[in-house]
Amino acid sequence: MTSPHAVTGSPRRLLLRAALRRDATLVGAWSLVLLAVVAASAIATPGLYPDAASRVRAAEAIDASPALVALYGPILDPRNPGELAMAKLTVLYALALAALVVVVVRRHTRGDEEAGRTELLASTRLGRTAQLDAAVLLGAGVALGVGALAAGVDVASGLSLTGSAAFGASWAGLGLVCVGLTAVAAQIATTARGTSALVLVVLGLWFALRAVADVAAIGRPEPGAWSTALGWASPLGWGTRLHAWGEPRWWLLGLWAGLAVALTLLARRLADRRDLGSGIVADRPGPARGRLTAPLGLALRVQRGALLGWSAALLGTGLLAGALAPGVGDLLDTAGGRDVLRRLGGAGALGDALIGAVCALAGIAVAAWGIGVVARADDDEQSGRLELLAATPISRMRTARTVALTALAPPLGLLGLVGVGCLVALTLGGAPAPPTRVLGAALAPWPAAALVVAVALCGWAVRPAVLGGALRGPVVGWLTLAASVVLGELGPLLRLPGWIVGLSPFDHVPAAPSVPAWSAAQGVMALLAAVLTAIAVRRFSRRDLG
Amino acid sequence: MTTPAIEASGLVKAFGATRALDGLELTVAAGEVHGFLGPNGAGKSTTIRALLGMLRLDRGTLRLLGSDPWRDATSLHARLAYVPGDVALWPRLTGGEVIDLLLRARGLEPARTDRDVLVERFGLDPSKRCRTYSKGNRQKVALVAAFAAPVELLVLDEPTSGLDPLVAEVFAACVREHVDAGAAVLLSSHVLGEVDHLAERVTIIRAGRTVTTGRLDELRHLHRTRVRARLPEGVEPRLPAGVELDRDGAIVRLSVEPAALPAVLGALAEAGVTELTAAPPSLEELFLDAYRPPA
Repeated sequence: MTSPHAVTGSPRRLLLRAALRRDATLVGAWSLVLLAVVAASAIATPGLYPDAASRVRAAEAIDASPALVALYGPILDPRNPGELAMAKLTVLYALALAALVVVVVRRHTRGDEEAGRTELLASTRLGRTAQLDAAVLLGAGVALGVGALAAGVDVASGLSLTGSAAFGASWAGLGLVCVGLTAVAAQIATTARGTSALVLVVLGLWFALRAVADVAAIGRPEPGAWSTALGWASPLGWGTRLHAWGEPRWWLLGLWAGLAVALTLLARRLADRRDLGSGIVADRPGPARGRLTAPLGLALRVQRGALLGWSAALLGTGLLAGALAPGVGDLLDTAGGRDVLRRLGGAGALGDALIGAVCALAGIAVAAWGIGVVARADDDEQSGRLELLAATPISRMRTARTVALTALAPPLGLLGLVGVGCLVALTLGGAPAPPTRVLGAALAPWPAAALVVAVALCGWAVRPAVLGGALRGPVVGWLTLAASVVLGELGPLLRLPGWIVGLSPFDHVPAAPSVPAWSAAQGVMALLAAVLTAIAVRRFSRRDLG
Repeated sequence: MTTPAIEASGLVKAFGATRALDGLELTVAAGEVHGFLGPNGAGKSTTIRALLGMLRLDRGTLRLLGSDPWRDATSLHARLAYVPGDVALWPRLTGGEVIDLLLRARGLEPARTDRDVLVERFGLDPSKRCRTYSKGNRQKVALVAAFAAPVELLVLDEPTSGLDPLVAEVFAACVREHVDAGAAVLLSSHVLGEVDHLAERVTIIRAGRTVTTGRLDELRHLHRTRVRARLPEGVEPRLPAGVELDRDGAIVRLSVEPAALPAVLGALAEAGVTELTAAPPSLEELFLDAYRPPA
């Protein structure tokens, strides 16, 4: 017997519809930006390299540069204009789609569970894994949808049909794998933050494996067995190995799909076995007494795990960059390598370029750390944790100063770790470099990162009452960071005027160590960041809480 | 005369188009337990946040222990303790760590407070991670941290909503101990028995305004007494005008204004009453009267 008020449609479809409504803005905006980048690259790049000869020359230059190969993967089939047009997108920007999928799946699995919403749903007629299923379906839909649209945009921009389809499939494939990966991570970790941390560790590992494999293969027509194995071990390496713009290896699609299905089944199995609210690793009792003092001691204690993880990741990044950089010397012995090196400014320049590029990426990453701290502060306020402390004699000013300090200072240390890792690897590799030069390059992006974080702090402190309060501090921060990165990437491609590209703080970071690490622009950015932070701290102590 | 713990008059706070507080009045004398009541959304939590200097008022005057809660927030916070209605804690810290953190935040050395005794009395396991605590256990963490501090004012927002009856009794005992030591308590609660038990005076608010305030016994006096009587079949008592009678066979039920009580009792006696009970209005009825939106 069904009640007269029974809802129609399967429970799963209901969940899916509810989830879609929550995600529409995020998914829509994120996909639009991604597709805009696809369109801009597909339309603009063929104009930059009109004939096959120019494309082959460009491909040779890129393939000879460990920096570019480490970041983007090799250029394999330059005769097809699509290969060069999608060079940055195949691996590196596919990570942006991966990030979207991770956010979507995480939000509807561990995020809901942590917030206690899952409990409410699990008490209804929905099954134990219904919510996981809905999240996976939604994530898969996003991955497939964006992949299909990317292929469509490529075709509409004049690239070849087969290549575009294979390229879109490679995006969708990585997206699907990340859906499964996040679903598993959400069963293991007990918090939403922990879930993304696990996913990031795996993605970082995959990226490093691929980078090492691709760089090791530079200038070798027959790459060694170990580098081949490394490349295939990483799903991020499959994007270029699909040969989308030459003779696509369509069977690779089965690899992505198979891994995605296997991970999803594993996640369902784990979800079916564990208690609601728990992870795979049980919570152990802790100290019955504490020595923490608020607010700084508390902040450091709460961020300890994340800071350790970030430190390890950035130290590893530095080590990797330092290990790959000296390999440039081998290029001198390969055909065409000498010519490429000379044109780019002589020996050492390519190694420097790799270190510079890695430091620039690290700068963007540490800005994300700062925004994450602002997001934590916002979360403390929303959840009511801040209320407990705000009712003690700790002043609002001190609370705000602590948030600012823990958002801005660790990025400096983390960037320093990139430099240290780089130096250690260079020294071990028998190519020692002057410490000040490498450390200078590593720290160079800090003022730009600090400026972005300061904008996020202002958004948190002022809490503009626009968009129905949706424009919270962390949102302001993420939007600023995304806009800065997109401007930096699209600006040169679309030949935007310098002042527009210059709106991105990261545009003013010198490409050290090839050029001096410090410029007046960085001083201005550091000053601006300091002023904005001071405004944020004052402003926070004057507004309503909650 | 000592300074009142809380003196609020004409409090107004608007969030956009909604007026959360609309001329609220509240006075809590030094050393008294004051019940703070009202239906959901009446503005109790908003008032409390204003008391704690977390909200800036649009209008009205508010003094807490003689000071301005917005301007002198930090110095006032050293003299009060607060337990929120919905206690959120740091998921990875243990309850013991949070208690010590909150005590240190108010400049106390946890080892020199009653912390251990209170942990024992409330039956809290301080070595568990906050993530694993139930609502009631999270509440205990906040209560222990609040009661372990010697303060002049306790601000308690639905402090027992997740507690079992035994722990609620420990809570009541702790409140009394603090009052005996001279503290004033603002007790926002929906547990009417608890308010009846602990509070000398109450303030009932609705839609951001104070509806009723006063001593509980006086408030009771202002309200109707319920009378139940057994009368011989077929006899109609000659009741004063305006008193409604509800008859069920031999049993009649009446709700009587205090002023009309002598006349009603006379009429019942005249009608040959054989059985009579009269009960003062329960707190519940007081609330329902005050909560109900005006027709």
